[in-house]
Parts: sequence; structure tokens; C-alpha cells
Amino acid sequence: MLRIEGLSVAYGGLKALVEVDLEVSEGEFVTIVGPNGAGKTTLFKTISGTVAPVAGRISYRGQDLLALPAAARAHLGMAHVPEGRQVFKTLSVDDNLQMGAYVAAGRRDWVRNRKRIMELFPVLDERRDQLAGTLSGGEQQMLAIARGLAGSPHLLMLDEPSMGLAPTITDAIFERIRAVHKEDGLTILLVEQRVAEALESCDRGYLLDTGRVALHGSYETLLSDARVKKAYLGM
Amino acid sequence: MKRARVSDLAIIVESFFQAAVAGILVGCIYGLMCCGLSLIFGIMRVINFAQGEFLMLGMYFAFYLVTGFGLVAFLGPIYGPFLAALLAGPVLFVFGYLLHQYLVGRVTGVNVIGAEAEGHYAQLILTLGLSLVLANGGLILFGSVPQVIRTPLSSTAWLIGPLLGDYVEIFINQARAYSALVSILVAVGLFQFMARSSLGKSLLAAADNPEAASYMGIDVDRAHRLAFAIGTGITAVAGGLVATYYPFQPYVGIDFVIIMYAGVVLGGIGSVAGAFLGGFVIGVVQQVSTMVLPIQLQNTAIFVVFLIVVMFRPHGLFGRSAERT
Ligand SMILES: Nc1ncnc2c1ncn2[C@@H]1O[C@H](COP(=O)(O)OP(=O)(O)OP(=O)(O)O)[C@@H](O)[C@H]1O
Ligand SMILES: [Mg+2]
Repeated sequence: MLRIEGLSVAYGGLKALVEVDLEVSEGEFVTIVGPNGAGKTTLFKTISGTVAPVAGRISYRGQDLLALPAAARAHLGMAHVPEGRQVFKTLSVDDNLQMGAYVAAGRRDWVRNRKRIMELFPVLDERRDQLAGTLSGGEQQMLAIARGLAGSPHLLMLDEPSMGLAPTITDAIFERIRAVHKEDGLTILLVEQRVAEALESCDRGYLLDTGRVALHGSYETLLSDARVKKAYLGM
Repeated sequence: MKRARVSDLAIIVESFFQAAVAGILVGCIYGLMCCGLSLIFGIMRVINFAQGEFLMLGMYFAFYLVTGFGLVAFLGPIYGPFLAALLAGPVLFVFGYLLHQYLVGRVTGVNVIGAEAEGHYAQLILTLGLSLVLANGGLILFGSVPQVIRTPLSSTAWLIGPLLGDYVEIFINQARAYSALVSILVAVGLFQFMARSSLGKSLLAAADNPEAASYMGIDVDRAHRLAFAIGTGITAVAGGLVATYYPFQPYVGIDFVIIMYAGVVLGGIGSVAGAFLGGFVIGVVQQVSTMVLPIQLQNTAIFVVFLIVVMFRPHGLFGRSAERT
């Protein structure tokens, strides 16, 4: 579904990604882990088109993504839930969702998607007329995910949805992500620092370190790797 | 003797009502022109000094449509001028769209993300220059003789009264009344577009968070261009309406650009409806102040009220904070 080959990104002279290869198949749940500054967010931004690469190729369902401007990529059925939530603070919760449904597929499935979203995140229904900027951090994260779902995507990309949230909220959010993967059949690409929880849910994972793919493989492979154990699991 | 005192009071009451009515009418028109600037400055945060010249272009466009193209003959002198004002909207929309595409867009929106002061310095210089070019170009093209769009309504008025037992009579100028009505209709149309349509909301979203907006499939650059073009067109319609009762020349923009900025800030930046109400308040203050202040000081009264409001409500009359407190 998503195939990345030899992707390199630089900010000025600084290399943020070096020849990254990554693949996500239809229906998979793939996790990317890695320390701060590894280039995870940069990778997501390059896929979505707000950062341009210096080399490499990205294709999504056979389409060359790099030939398209950022706004056009969302129309292909990929949703990016950005790091730090990035909700539209001055818009109401409902208007945020409606913007998530800006693409044609989102408009078509609006009623069904909205119902599903409110089932997953009932708190958003209670707060539908509140300005998104006044929601709590956890609620904003739920809204950011819900906004992504509102576009009827096939691929849902989530950048650190647990950032700055209490463990119980994080658990709830991971549970919803698993639900949309299992029940709605969405393909998931997840970036996470909470490695244990994130790897537990996924089919495959990648370890990104200083812009390179240091390791990739199944859940067991990653969990048993000494580097992952040492850096993240405190073992 | 007693009779004389009553009529003194009646004159004051009458002139107050007269000024208030005039204020309400011009307030609606000011409200509409503020809506135009609100899209450009309030929402997209683009500093535009040329907004007054957009108003001026709307005036001349409507003027030439009425005098040169016989819209008066076709629709009659009563409806012609108002249709001409409305037609200034789409024409100046296209003008604003092209202006943004080739000039203003280079210093706004996605092109200035991360730039110093969000590109405000470049916008300041560019639009100040644009304002001069348009005003001076207007002088060459249109000449310096003040014009006004003549409609029989300019010199007709409805008489309300006598009220309060024969003492008070109020005249409502019909040109202003129709202009106010058209302003309200256009403004309501704009509010509906912004609040109900997906395209309208996408303009707000693009301004609120351009990066997230592009992840939603919103073309942020186009959103900026559209907002600029609509803002230009709306102010031009207001210009065409003002032209039915206010003599204008190519430098007329300066008379109004300050009113527009004051209205947008007074109403609360980021709210189109707020900008309308801000402009409305300014119209009322301006007209009522003429009762007590010499006409040269009417803009001073606007700023005194402006300062008082901003002192007590820094977000403007209708601004609300979207941050958690
Ligand atoms: N706009 C930018 N300009 C310059 N350097 C940048 C920019 N954005 C990111 N970088 C650099 O690129 C590297 C990768 O950053 P990135 O945000 O992708 O890391 P990350 O893996 O998402 O980290 P975190 O886990 O902290 O979110 C870092 O060294 C960062 O300083
Ligand atoms: Mg990151």
C-alpha cells in the first residue's frame, strides 16, 4: 500500500533521514519507534508532503506521492494525525470533524463516520460545540484522531498519540486505535515512544535511529533486540 | 416661555434621533466594508493597506457602470446604482484573486510560514506601495473631480413622525436606507457562507493551522487567495453603496481604511460577524458624535470609543479566546 525507497531528507545541511526503506501492506499495523530526533516526524511529514525529500521515492497504492502537492495527497485516502494534535483551536469540535471530512470520501460517508466517531469517543459528542482549543489535552488527541477518521481513510498515520497524556488515557487511545484497525479494517502506521504498548499491538515494527532504519521485523524480533530492550524497556 | 423650552428639548431629541438613524444606516455599510477587511486581516492575518483603494475601485466601477454603460437607463435610476454596487463584487473578486496570485500571495500564507513576523514586514511595504499605485493610477484614469453616483433616492427621504406629540420629526435618507439594506443582505450571505459551507470553514481552518489543514486536503494557498479575493469583492460592494451618498475621488480610500481597521479590531479579530458589528458601532459613534463635536473631530470620537473598548475588552467586543485558561 505504502512503499518508501531510499528516502533521504535534509534540513539545510543537516541530514534528518538517510536512505530509508519502509513498506506497509494493506490491512497491516506497523509501528515506528526510535529516540527523540530520530526523524520519525520528518518521515511522516515527507509522506504527507509538508517536507520535501532530497532523494528517494514514495508510492501509495501505485501512485507516485512525490509528484503531488500536500493537499492532493489527503484526497487519496491517507489521514495524518500530526504530532502535538494540531487541532483547529478556533473551530468547534464539530467543525474540526467536518474539516476532517473535507475530502470527497469524507463527505460521502459523513453520517456513518460521525456516528462511528461518537461511538469511539463519546466525550466529543458531549463537547461538539466547544472550541477545540479549550479541550483538555486528552480530548484534543481524541479529536485529532477522530478528525483523521472523518476522512474515510484507508491508511491512518498517527504521530505519537500518547504524547503528554496520562497512562489511563493513553491506554484508552491505544484501545481505540486497535479497534479501528480490527473492526474497521484500517491500515495503521504508528509512531510511538511508548514502545512496549505500541509494539504489543502491531504486526511489524521499525526502529529508526539518527535518520536510518536500524532494525525492522516482527513484534518478537524487535522486542528481543538488545538495543530496543536497553533503550526503551529498561531491561 | 414654557413652550420655548419644550421645543429646545425637542430639537435636541430630534437631532439625536436623526443622528442615531443616520448612524445605524451608515453603520450597516461600514459593517459590510469591515467584513471584507476581516477576511483578509482578521482571518488570514494579512496586513493590507490597499483595502481603502479596493473600496475606491468599487466606487468607480459602480460609477462608470451607471454613467457609462447605461445601467440607469436599463434598470431605472433607482435600482441601477444598487445593482452596479453588487456587480462591483464579482469584478473586484477577480481583481483580488489575480492580485493575490501574482503579487500579494508571495508574502502571505504558505510562503511566509516561519518567516520573520509572519511576513508582515513584506506585506506592509507591498500593500502600502500598492495603495499608492492604485490611488495615483486612479488619479490619472479617473481625474481628481469628486464624483457621486446620482440616484433620485439621494435627495429623497421618508419622514417619520411627528413623534412625541408633534415635536419630533425624523428624516430617513432613502439612498442610505437602501444601501444599508443591501449591506445587510450581502453580509448575511457572507456569514452563511463562512458558517455553513465546507469551503467557508476551510478558509478558517487554513488560517488556524495551515499544516493541519493541508493534511485534511485543504489547499492552503488557494484558501488564502480565495479569502483575499472575497475580502476585496465585499469591500468593493460597500464602496459602490457608499458612492450613492458620499462624494469620492481617487484618494477617498484613506478616509475609510482607518475605519475598517478600527472596526475589525473593535469587533474582535477573527470574527466576520464581529467585524460587521464593529463597523456598525463605528458608524453610530461617528454620526452621533457630530451632535456634540465639530465635524473635523468625528474620527477622534471613533478612536476614543475604540480605545475605551480595547482597554476593557482586549479581544474586541465579540472576540473569544480559543486558548485554555
Ligand atoms: N524544521 C526543521 N528545521 C531544521 N531541523 C529540523 C526541523 N525539523 C526537524 N529537524 C531536525 O531533524 C531531526 C529529526 O526530527 P524529527 O522531528 O523528525 O524527530 P522525531 O523522531 O520525530 O523526534 P521526537 O521523538 O522528539 O518527536 C532532528 O534532529 C531535528 O532537530
Ligand atoms: Mg516527532
